[in-house]
Amino acid sequence: MRELLYRLKDRYHLGTPTFQRDDLTFVTVKRDELRAILTELRDVEGFTHLTFLTAVDWIEEGLFQLTYMINNREANQSLGLRVMLTREDEPGATTGDTIHDLWPTAATYQRELNEMFGINFPGSPRVDEEFILEGWTDLPPYRRDFDTLAYSQQTYRERPGRGRSDPKAHMQETLYPDYPKPREAAHAHKEEAK
Amino acid sequence: MSLRDVLSPFTAWKHVIDTPVTIQDPFNREAADRYRGFHQNDMDKCIGCGSCEEICQNDAIDMVPVEGQNAGPGDSGLRPMIDYGRCCWCALCVDVCMTGSLTMSNEYTWVDSDPDAFRFIPGVDGKSWDLEPKGYQREDTRRLTGTTRAPMGEMEPEARIGNFDEIVDGFTREQAVIEADRCVECGLCVATCPAHMDIPDYISKVRDGDYEGGLQILYETNPFSQACGRICTHKCETTCAAMHEGDAIAIRWLKRDITDNVPRERYFDLIQKPDVPETGQKIAVIGAGPAGLTTAYDLARKGHKVVVFEALDKPGGMMRYGIPEYRLPYDVLDHEISVIESMGVEIRCNMRVGHEISMQQLEKAYDAVVLSIGLHQGRSTRVPGSEKAEAAIDLLRRITAGEEVPVPEQVAVIGGGNVAMDIARSMARLQKVKYDKVGVTITALEELDRFLADAEEIKEAQEEGCVIYPARGPQEITLEGENVTGLRTWKVKAIFDDEGRFAPKYDEADEMVHPAQMVVEAIGQMSDISLLGAELTEKLEWNRGRIMIDADGQTSEAWLWAAGDVTSGPDVIHAVADGHRVARSVGKMLATKREKLQ
Amino acid sequence: MFSFKPDRSQYPEPGPDGKLEIDLETGKYLKLWHGPNHPGITGNMSVELTVCGDEVVDGKTHVGYLHRGFEKLMERRTFIQVFPIVCRVCVPEPDFNEYCYAAAVEELADIDVPEMANWIRTLILEMGRFNSYMMAMGGISGALGLGVVGQWMTYTRDLMLDRFEELTGARIYHMFILPGGVRAHLPEGFEARMEEVLQTAEKYLADAEKLMFHSSVFKTRTKGVGYIDPALFERYGVTGPNARAGGVAKDVRKDSPYLVYDQLEFTVHTETESDIYARTLVRYKDLQETIQLIRQILRKMPKTGEVMSNLPNVLHWKIPRGETYIKGESSRGEYGYYLVTDGTGYPRRINVRGPSYTHAMALLEHLIPGTNISDVAALMVSLHTYPPEIER
Repeated sequence: MRELLYRLKDRYHLGTPTFQRDDLTFVTVKRDELRAILTELRDVEGFTHLTFLTAVDWIEEGLFQLTYMINNREANQSLGLRVMLTREDEPGATTGDTIHDLWPTAATYQRELNEMFGINFPGSPRVDEEFILEGWTDLPPYRRDFDTLAYSQQTYRERPGRGRSDPKAHMQETLYPDYPKPREAAHAHKEEAK
Repeated sequence: MSLRDVLSPFTAWKHVIDTPVTIQDPFNREAADRYRGFHQNDMDKCIGCGSCEEICQNDAIDMVPVEGQNAGPGDSGLRPMIDYGRCCWCALCVDVCMTGSLTMSNEYTWVDSDPDAFRFIPGVDGKSWDLEPKGYQREDTRRLTGTTRAPMGEMEPEARIGNFDEIVDGFTREQAVIEADRCVECGLCVATCPAHMDIPDYISKVRDGDYEGGLQILYETNPFSQACGRICTHKCETTCAAMHEGDAIAIRWLKRDITDNVPRERYFDLIQKPDVPETGQKIAVIGAGPAGLTTAYDLARKGHKVVVFEALDKPGGMMRYGIPEYRLPYDVLDHEISVIESMGVEIRCNMRVGHEISMQQLEKAYDAVVLSIGLHQGRSTRVPGSEKAEAAIDLLRRITAGEEVPVPEQVAVIGGGNVAMDIARSMARLQKVKYDKVGVTITALEELDRFLADAEEIKEAQEEGCVIYPARGPQEITLEGENVTGLRTWKVKAIFDDEGRFAPKYDEADEMVHPAQMVVEAIGQMSDISLLGAELTEKLEWNRGRIMIDADGQTSEAWLWAAGDVTSGPDVIHAVADGHRVARSVGKMLATKREKLQ
Repeated sequence: MFSFKPDRSQYPEPGPDGKLEIDLETGKYLKLWHGPNHPGITGNMSVELTVCGDEVVDGKTHVGYLHRGFEKLMERRTFIQVFPIVCRVCVPEPDFNEYCYAAAVEELADIDVPEMANWIRTLILEMGRFNSYMMAMGGISGALGLGVVGQWMTYTRDLMLDRFEELTGARIYHMFILPGGVRAHLPEGFEARMEEVLQTAEKYLADAEKLMFHSSVFKTRTKGVGYIDPALFERYGVTGPNARAGGVAKDVRKDSPYLVYDQLEFTVHTETESDIYARTLVRYKDLQETIQLIRQILRKMPKTGEVMSNLPNVLHWKIPRGETYIKGESSRGEYGYYLVTDGTGYPRRINVRGPSYTHAMALLEHLIPGTNISDVAALMVSLHTYPPEIER
């Protein structure tokens, strides 16, 4: 795998590879070189199997990571190609490049990414059709800023009869309610100072 | 298409004469032995730590107060209530349970028309499967949280016996992380700690490597965190959830880890006096031990002027003059006290109240006086010859002060507490230096497993060559003229009578004489209250020889409080707790006084 | 005998992409919803068919009927809390989720797994494969109206569920493979009871073979139907028995051995016809192989040894930033977990790569045009797809 990357490095801009296992490597590539690299790996290097395509939301860094996992069965090698895209807040504003013509099955992945992450792939068949969600108007739900807990609290009702106590607080209330609590004491400083 | 292909499907007809395989009565089919069915909870074992609630990914568990289960040492009194509308039967709660109280029965069929019936407290709300032995339980030890304490490096006995250097190394970063990682953050220990330190919070800071944040948490509740990180009696570790199936968390060492890892000069940046206006009120504290200095620390941080009067050369009280240097180095103590001084606390040493200044003068010059004089007088066995015995506490003080103490080849110590161990081990060190061998005998009334001293103190004393004779009662200190020659003891048959009163019974036939040129009594201390003066002693209310105080430490005199060993148990952390309590009470009185003036 | 020869003379000309311009107003075409509630469909999904007469001219897969957002739910659970929900991604063969997730966590958190646990994991996976194949065999027979085989297979699967129950403590969602190992050793006398199940299974399979592979009806309905051109395999990401029926001996167990598969002897069966019959036959042979594998594992596995290693305190377990992909050969093909961690106590992203994702979407939609309505069910079931893998 090192040898292969070494060869590719001559012609493409590759990031520092992560040799995760003997049979699994990750490397970041440039978006505009992705297609050429994929084609070459598929047609020349035996990476004929597109295992999956998915995205990771690095919201803090303002990036979407697309991971194209391809596999060479003969050589028992998997290669994860990472493409970093600038993360736009507007769903659909971030776009990737479709590879459905290299692997028709990629169209499904791209359709899902459009729905779940708001990453569009112009030119990909039926990319705008609803895939899993129906009539969804909220944020693309697999984005990190979509809060599933808040969604479920807004959408569903809590069953009555629940309620919990914290062991530490409960013991304080029952065993030593009068002992000066440091944080309260800090608060009392201010009260007294007034 | 062959004839075979047409005919062979008809072979299925042979099954028409088979006995049906359907289970005839599915409702009474018993599940497998390790089936994960409805929960069981052993109320005698459950400590209400809430680890089950914490790990539940479905939010199915609530810790709730339960009638008949009271909060107490090492038990929050809460019990898990399980909502089977959410439970997914994954049994992580069983796997993580710190005591093994929570298990699952193999009962899985239960029909009820009331959905709320499926939310109950196992072990409290009785169910038919409560006593069912079958069902899921952990196969072996708890694997989801660590059970074994991280090792602590310390000096080998041979290396430490000839000097007073600190024995315990303190954790390395790796050890500290392993140890801090084991904490499940239940907080049961917080109630046990007399000062109610936020133990889980500061342990999490160790884990995160945020030592400065950790130090600030420590100082919220304890200005003697460095000392406590070394010599605390760590009662917290006796109620730790981890101790039920494994070792308790080394809470004391983790506290020390924080204090050791913050550079000393950073303390003064991190622990700053709050920005409060000066009140102009003055408090005198008598005795610069942990209780007095904690009171001083708290009151100074509220803008009061605090002066501490210390009779001895240096501040620190028992921490300096009682605890040997190999357990608590003096430079650590000096630094700790300098942090307290940086709050504006003034410490006047060599000021013995009753000599240099009187109580009456203090009463007049200050708005409040706090008496925290500790227990600096050794008790005596009063056996024949005991007038020739040394008092442990007195010897320890002299060793600290650098005075010459007699070091005979053979020393016998009476007592089984930490002070007894401290003096035995100190004398052993001095003997080692002088004679290159140790000759210390320790005798106590109790059996070894009932000694009051910490187990590790006993172990270390033995490692250092001290010989312990448990269950032996002192009868006489044998003399030859003016010189001590030994200690005569009898075997103890019982220490208390049937009504639990102290009345030792001896087996007189089992007599031993422990040869010794010095006998040290370490059977307890009392306070020297002569400083009060006759007039004040008369005015104060007393309770069985102790000054009577209310819950906040206030005496019958409105201007006088008492704190520390003089009123409560003899250890640093109790003294610190006492100091906080008294400081708050004093602060209230002062605030009322200010309001009146305005 | 019966053969389907569509008369396309009445059809309009296909468009440039080879697809028909379908105008429902003409009355020539009819939309037919195959599912989500249909005996000939696997799980909760539906295929929107456009038919002309009884010929299907177009098909679109619709999923989303049981979307629970698992991948997203995992992101707000701690690493140990993910463990109970992964199995729910696939009902008939949940163990692959448990294994792949556990292995991914173990790799990124650098946790060793005891040897014994690896053997038990392998056993569990093969037991799961047995169940899944039983369902597939029963399913394909059922889809073709051969209900009795379905009943036999369901019965033998139930017997295996009994074994799952005594080993793992649950029948369907076993929740047994924890990161760090497995929960328990084999119970006392397990091997003997397993052997009984395997023998019962072999008896019923012998009968099923007569009703399926030696039945003129079954052959007529499946031979030459649902052909997948092996040239499509790579383009559509086809793996598992679907590829093996077309002569490609793809099997992760051999290609990239995991757990203890390198210490086991087994054959990867292939066929060449690549039709429904071939796919079913490959599954049948692989099922027989699985039965032998279970025997082999029980014979070869160590008798003693730890099954679980000590984990760091799972209540505040953080895993350093990293990513990995763990795969295994499920009964339907390559099954894998892509785990991305960011140094916190929660996964940054988990992506489940289920074989049905490609098989039931792009591949099925590609295969459907030109088939007969009555064959759609058999075609679908022959791809052996489980919808929850698609929508997770």
